Amino acid sequence: MAVINQKKSKVSDEIPTASMADIAFLLLIFFLVTTVFPKDKGLEVVLPEEGEQVEVSQNNILHLIVQTNGIVEVKRGESTSVQQMRADDIETLWRTEVTQNPNLIAAVKTHPDAPHEYMIDVLDALQLAGAERISLQVLEDF
Amino acid sequence: MPIKGGGLDRKSKASSEIPSSSLADIAFLLLIFFMVSTVFRTDKDRPIEWAEAAATEKIDEKVKNILNIWMERDGTIWINDQEVPMEEVSDIVLPLYAASERHLVISIRGDRETPYIFLDQVQKELVSAGVVRVVFATALERQMTGARR
Repeated sequence: MAVINQKKSKVSDEIPTASMADIAFLLLIFFLVTTVFPKDKGLEVVLPEEGEQVEVSQNNILHLIVQTNGIVEVKRGESTSVQQMRADDIETLWRTEVTQNPNLIAAVKTHPDAPHEYMIDVLDALQLAGAERISLQVLEDF
Repeated sequence: MPIKGGGLDRKSKASSEIPSSSLADIAFLLLIFFMVSTVFRTDKDRPIEWAEAAATEKIDEKVKNILNIWMERDGTIWINDQEVPMEEVSDIVLPLYAASERHLVISIRGDRETPYIFLDQVQKELVSAGVVRVVFATALERQMTGARR
């Protein structure tokens, strides 16, 4: 009597799929929690290569001197007259200046103790005005 | 012969339960979306206050090609969760720049109050490392339209 062979096996040969959704949700929650969406934005500048220095005529330079209190002193070329203004006004200034001289270069000179936020404000205004030739320097004689 | 009960006891074939057989499909769809879009952060954020700028733009470069240089208010520099002395910045950036085949973009994440002298020193270090593309990380400044122009 081969009774043993006729007994149906109760163990199923299929992989149980009832918990598949649970596994999916577990992984889903893991990735939801760990996801960090990149927050990479800012003002792009191109640094000069080492040793790449160009002599520029003073007539083509607009000096923007950023002081520690955020006031910007504007000097044209070699002239000694200084015009004080807020960073917000640089945008309109640049637009009018560049129509008179398309070769104009903005030389942003920042006081070493000035918060760099003020330099960003000036750079922001220049980029909004479409300026492409910007030189960033530290103010030496103050 | 009239229908029993005026036909009102006819069983409705529409089930009153929300079908749950597609639940796993939805879960997998979301799972795959998050798996694909996940970028594991490379370094922890330093506590800084962002400078704001209206001309803020997204960096047009792959995330793996962006290196963050954190610059705190007192001028300490952090790269990849490590404090770095100012004069060693170029030594750290140089091999990374070469490994990225000159595609590396440096994102300078400075506190808004950081004195400019530190930013100038970092720029000089980057120039000596040969880096060309630099981004001053800023938050987008929301301004009233028309109020400024």
